Amino acid sequence: MTIFARLDQWKESGAISSEQHAYLAGLSRHEPFSIFFELNVLLYAGVLAFIAGLGWTVTTWSRQLGDVLVLAMLSLLLAASFWYCLSRAAAWSRAETPSPNLIFDYVLYFGSLVWSVELAYLENRFHILSGQWDDYLLVTAVLYLLLAYRFDNRFVLSLGLSSLAGWFGLTISQWPSRQDADYRPYAILYSLTAGAAGAILHRFGLKPHFLSTYLNIAANLLFWALLSGVFQSHGYGVWLLALLVACGASLAWGLARRQFSFVAYAAVYPYIGVSSILVRDIHGDSAVFSYFVVSGIAMLVMLILLARRFGREA
Amino acid sequence: MRAYRAADEEALRARSLLKDWAGQGFLTEAQYRHMEQETACDLRRTNIFLRIVLFFFTLVIVAAVVALFFTTFLSRTSWQNQGPFFLIFAALSYAGAEFFVSGARFYRHGVEEALTACSVGFLCMGFEALLYSGRAQTQPYRLETLVPTAGAILSLWIWHRFGLPYAFLAAMLFVPWIPSYWTSSQPAQHLIVAAIYSAGLIAMFAIRAPQRFTYLDDGFSIAEALLWLGIYLAINLQVSLLDPRGLWLGIARSPAEFPKPFYWTTWVLIWFLPPAVLTRGLRGKDRWVIAAGLVAAILTLVTNKPYLGWPRHTWDPMLLGSVLIAAVLYIRRWLAGGEGGIRRGFTAQRLSGKDRVWMSVGTTALGFVSPEQITQTSQPANPEFRFGRGDSGGGGASSDF
Repeated sequence: MTIFARLDQWKESGAISSEQHAYLAGLSRHEPFSIFFELNVLLYAGVLAFIAGLGWTVTTWSRQLGDVLVLAMLSLLLAASFWYCLSRAAAWSRAETPSPNLIFDYVLYFGSLVWSVELAYLENRFHILSGQWDDYLLVTAVLYLLLAYRFDNRFVLSLGLSSLAGWFGLTISQWPSRQDADYRPYAILYSLTAGAAGAILHRFGLKPHFLSTYLNIAANLLFWALLSGVFQSHGYGVWLLALLVACGASLAWGLARRQFSFVAYAAVYPYIGVSSILVRDIHGDSAVFSYFVVSGIAMLVMLILLARRFGREA
Repeated sequence: MRAYRAADEEALRARSLLKDWAGQGFLTEAQYRHMEQETACDLRRTNIFLRIVLFFFTLVIVAAVVALFFTTFLSRTSWQNQGPFFLIFAALSYAGAEFFVSGARFYRHGVEEALTACSVGFLCMGFEALLYSGRAQTQPYRLETLVPTAGAILSLWIWHRFGLPYAFLAAMLFVPWIPSYWTSSQPAQHLIVAAIYSAGLIAMFAIRAPQRFTYLDDGFSIAEALLWLGIYLAINLQVSLLDPRGLWLGIARSPAEFPKPFYWTTWVLIWFLPPAVLTRGLRGKDRWVIAAGLVAAILTLVTNKPYLGWPRHTWDPMLLGSVLIAAVLYIRRWLAGGEGGIRRGFTAQRLSGKDRVWMSVGTTALGFVSPEQITQTSQPANPEFRFGRGDSGGGGASSDF
């Protein structure tokens, strides 16, 4: 039975009104046909292409163009973008706020990226931060996060979180005696900070729909950091324990909130970590392959049971 | 011939539409609950994350089982003699997929999908092993064309039987390998690939027409879009010069390897094809074909200068970005001028909750990734001047700016 036959049936049984029937039948025939998604993708691609060209041009021709012209041009773009956003934005609200129009989010995203280009230019030509890139990243991260909360923009929120991650990484990269393992505590600290910040802001009702962005980024970084500890040849026990605790937390959260990406993290990351430890103590190809057969089947059965219980829920 | 009953797939489609309409407020909660009960079917589905994880673990199991078999029983057998066993594993994997579909009623469940993928992989490995004779590969060995041909045919069958869109893509990816065993002429290879895709497109036109607005329409739409894109990529020689096989082997390719008439004919075609695809997509209100047309149009703009041998300028991406943004603004303005924001059946308003979901996922993922991509360094005109060395992040101000 096609959707049109079903709609006719529902109309006859009184489940839907004639107006609803006409509208829904139209939608099923693509009348009207929305190109909302396509326009958004083109805008995103356009902004990225423009910024890439801007950065490339400024880098290549800064000497010929002169600092004044470059800075004036960048400042003009920046001011125009932020003026547009400030003049068009709705009053601030704690809850999710729809964009006033199609291009609003992209103008803000464009302005945020121009800000980075201009600040980087200023720093490199005039050394206003005396090479303190970590300070620059922190300021940028704070600005992005403020803009994201003011204008309810997930693009800029992600930029802010990536800048904050850059600040954590860059701070430690300046240590002269750093080793790769030094990054791990900072990655974990960043994950916990981002996750906690997201949870606190959610609890206070400040843009609660941002929580999933925080948690997905935090969870992935945390699992990668813990896995890198498990991959060590010595002293991996504590990291394995931490990995299993994180797995339990991710599974509990995922099942309780029906956020199945966290269930997926809880299945894959610990499997990789535990397997890496077990396999290094198993000798012989046959034993290794047998391990993967048995453990894989066990995981598959558990996941199928889980999938059966939760069905198609997203 | 489909693995699932049409009634079940229509019911799933209706269920998906109802959920979408309820999410958009076109139906009340009570209406949705009532109508949803009438779309029940016995197919077992799961959400996208569990589907991916189930796919992953099924691949692990199958790979481990096969590796264990070969290690235990065939460790001293030659590669050629292992061929029949790969073919047996291909058959077993496919049978497993059929079992999970017919017995357990799995639908897009990850497990059966991984088994079909394994069956294609084992089939190709089996043929490769059987045809391998250990000789020096100085001449193309025509019988080896069976490897990609078998892979393409089985992928096509899996697409038809299980309705997996990426199986159609896999079938298409096998096609460019086929003519390389027949001829060493690059133009001939391009023509053969384009001809095979064109034949597929004509067949698609014929089988698609009666299925408009049915549950099959989406799958056919994706397949048609992929075929259009495949034809475009086969004729755009600048894109084909970026052949990953050549880059991997360090073989630099140049336009000079193509005869001039052929080269300039393809240049004309890359300008002709995107408007044709876009027109077809817009006329049929076909989302995937429109997307294929847009991708082809952007690729034409990007590859035009290399085609003509003109130097690239640093501001070219800015021009491209400006064109894209201006086009969007014009279309939005034009649509907004219509009654209710609708013109000729098109609107810029969001009518589906799926758009919102995709946008949400996209903004999180792309926003986090893009800063490192968009400020790729170029060769500065003045080598003494370069920006700093931030290592990561920075929302667009990453290292070597």
